[in-house]
Amino acid sequence: MTNEDNAHTLRCDDEGPRSESRRGFLKLAALTGAVVSTTGSRALANGDIGFFAKDLSDEKLINMYRTILRIRWHERTQADQMLTNPDYRGYNHFYAGQEAVATGVCAALRNDGPFDQIDLVYSTHRPSGHAIAKGVDIPKMVAEMDFRATGMNGGYGAEMHISDPSVGFIGADGMVGPGHVTAAGSAFAFRARGSDQVSVAFAGDGTYATPQFHSALNNAKLLDLPFIYVLENNLYHQFAHYSYSCPHKNIADAAAAYGIATEVVDGQDVIQVYNAAKEAVNRARSGGGPTFIEAKTYRYYNHWGAPGAKAGELGAFGYDPLAITSFRPEREVRAWMQRDPVDISRKILVDWGVIDDARAAEIEEEVKAEIASAFEWALSQPLCTPEDGLRHVFAEGTVPARQFG
Amino acid sequence: MAQKSWMYSVLEAVQYEMQQDPAMTWIFELTPPVASTPGKPVINLETEFGRKRVVNTGIDEYWMAATVLGASLAGSKSATYIPYQGALMPFELIQNYASKMRHKTGGVASLPAVWIIEMTGQTPGFAQQHSCYEEDSYYMHIPGVRTVIPSTPYDAKGLMHAALRSPDPVVYLYPAGLRTLTGEVPDEPYEVPLDKAAMRQEGSDLTIVSSGGGMPGVLEAAETLTGEGMSVEVIDLRVLKEMDTETLVNSVAKTKRLLTVDQSYYTLGPGAEVVARVAENVEGARFKRVAFPDAPPPASPEMFTWMRPNAEGIAGAARDLA
Repeated sequence: MTNEDNAHTLRCDDEGPRSESRRGFLKLAALTGAVVSTTGSRALANGDIGFFAKDLSDEKLINMYRTILRIRWHERTQADQMLTNPDYRGYNHFYAGQEAVATGVCAALRNDGPFDQIDLVYSTHRPSGHAIAKGVDIPKMVAEMDFRATGMNGGYGAEMHISDPSVGFIGADGMVGPGHVTAAGSAFAFRARGSDQVSVAFAGDGTYATPQFHSALNNAKLLDLPFIYVLENNLYHQFAHYSYSCPHKNIADAAAAYGIATEVVDGQDVIQVYNAAKEAVNRARSGGGPTFIEAKTYRYYNHWGAPGAKAGELGAFGYDPLAITSFRPEREVRAWMQRDPVDISRKILVDWGVIDDARAAEIEEEVKAEIASAFEWALSQPLCTPEDGLRHVFAEGTVPARQFG
Repeated sequence: MAQKSWMYSVLEAVQYEMQQDPAMTWIFELTPPVASTPGKPVINLETEFGRKRVVNTGIDEYWMAATVLGASLAGSKSATYIPYQGALMPFELIQNYASKMRHKTGGVASLPAVWIIEMTGQTPGFAQQHSCYEEDSYYMHIPGVRTVIPSTPYDAKGLMHAALRSPDPVVYLYPAGLRTLTGEVPDEPYEVPLDKAAMRQEGSDLTIVSSGGGMPGVLEAAETLTGEGMSVEVIDLRVLKEMDTETLVNSVAKTKRLLTVDQSYYTLGPGAEVVARVAENVEGARFKRVAFPDAPPPASPEMFTWMRPNAEGIAGAARDLA
């Protein structure tokens, strides 16, 4: 463990089983020919280059598993609300299926501390996973997504604009493109003021076609900015397969053309994502410039909301009326669900002896209860005051009402 | 004549023009050019005309806008459907490139291009970035580009025919909140002129002028006011550029009272232009403007529905004026 890693530990009050099994693993690794560094910063087995995740504490690994579960149960609970509660007004572009990407990336970032030292994340219109992984207050996020006055942004923004700079979550974005160049702008400031912070832009596969994709990458490389572009390739932008907008199988090939270090990872495996992100963060902090990570992943729900989903069941299948003519084959959805990020992360932790199946199940129950109570709190919060819509246009004051003549 | 949905009416016009002109192209992103309406065959431009002429592209509205312009300059009539998320991404191309093309070439350039641009924000919860309360003002400001905004399926089809046949480039604003409207729409092609406002109701006490997404609230308010004994004249601008000044001036010369209603920001909304043109030409009239405040549309339905002009607010303003 390095001090840096300690600083990155996700917020968590978990006191799960500690290092007995972990030490067992390292001992076994050493016996089988692994090189255990005496500086304590690395433990590389043969063939493992930059396998940073093996250095993580049990606590951190459990926190990552817990984060994946938090995202998963937030999505499932919200989908159930949309499907069963006629009074619920919130919506989401669901992130379920992609949890390992947000979790693996944000676990490599600095999420606690003064604003001028933490790393920044620019999210997308599919933001709840990124927000939870970066460490936002979940009850307040849930309240915001249901337009409550005490929500994270006072009910002004809701799902597509959730934002909490205090944890470096600059926020969701209803647009595709402009945020990426803006994120590179934050990285520009870090370099200019000599900070070791990094700026991360999450993006989907649809972003490839935007002019901003190319502008962000080109300028990030020209200026060697501490910028990480995490492209979550879930195969579809809205309802169109990415082959309609990108000639590459790996979108990372395009980033490579800008001279940027690239990595294509299995986005369903949080450890692979973490390793790639950690390498990218190390590169950025040490002045090595930008990195482009393409995570191959999949969303279990349709583009927006819960059409095709059933309460109590994970995923959405079949026809989405919003898709008009193009929709995903059910077999494709079910095939991807066989490689579930929750299952994969649990199996890794169990295989590594960090937790056993019983503890894994306990953690999941704890998370379900935590999310249930977040929704209970959020949905009892007050609604907004109409006149407040005239506030926050400028730093001070209100603008005049015009709707009554 | 048959009852037709909004999008069916629009695509019926596009389908006809594409059948007449084998060079014509259509570019879309995300929203396939498909529409159905009870009792009529489904229209699917992509399958009917093939993927060389009907292209599903990536998220790059600038490219979409520039490509139809380039196609038009090359002699192919061309149109693109730009969804609300990208409504102002092509602004620079239209404002500084397309709009000046005819003039700077001394009239030799020909640009039969149509940009269909969604104008959304009628639904609570869409929040700031998915709400368009400014694009009518922006596009109508540009010289050299005709900007229209239908409010009925009938006008939507007729204006589409006219736009596609016009030698001038046209920004065709599509108030997305009106997509649920159906109406009596003829099967055969017809044009709604690109320079005429529509008189929706005649009256002598007060003129109410609005456009696009503002019209349903205005018509509802007019019904209430008529029931109260007020004689209300209702004008649907339909065309923002070139604005039909004559119809506006003639109306207010008669009523001496003008209320404008914009489902867009107060500052420099279409209503501001209407008031200015009428004020220049009519002596002794009184004016009032109803508009969305100069604030981005918030997500909260409580805030949003209060800020959005509605029939009640419009009727209240009309009573104050009359």
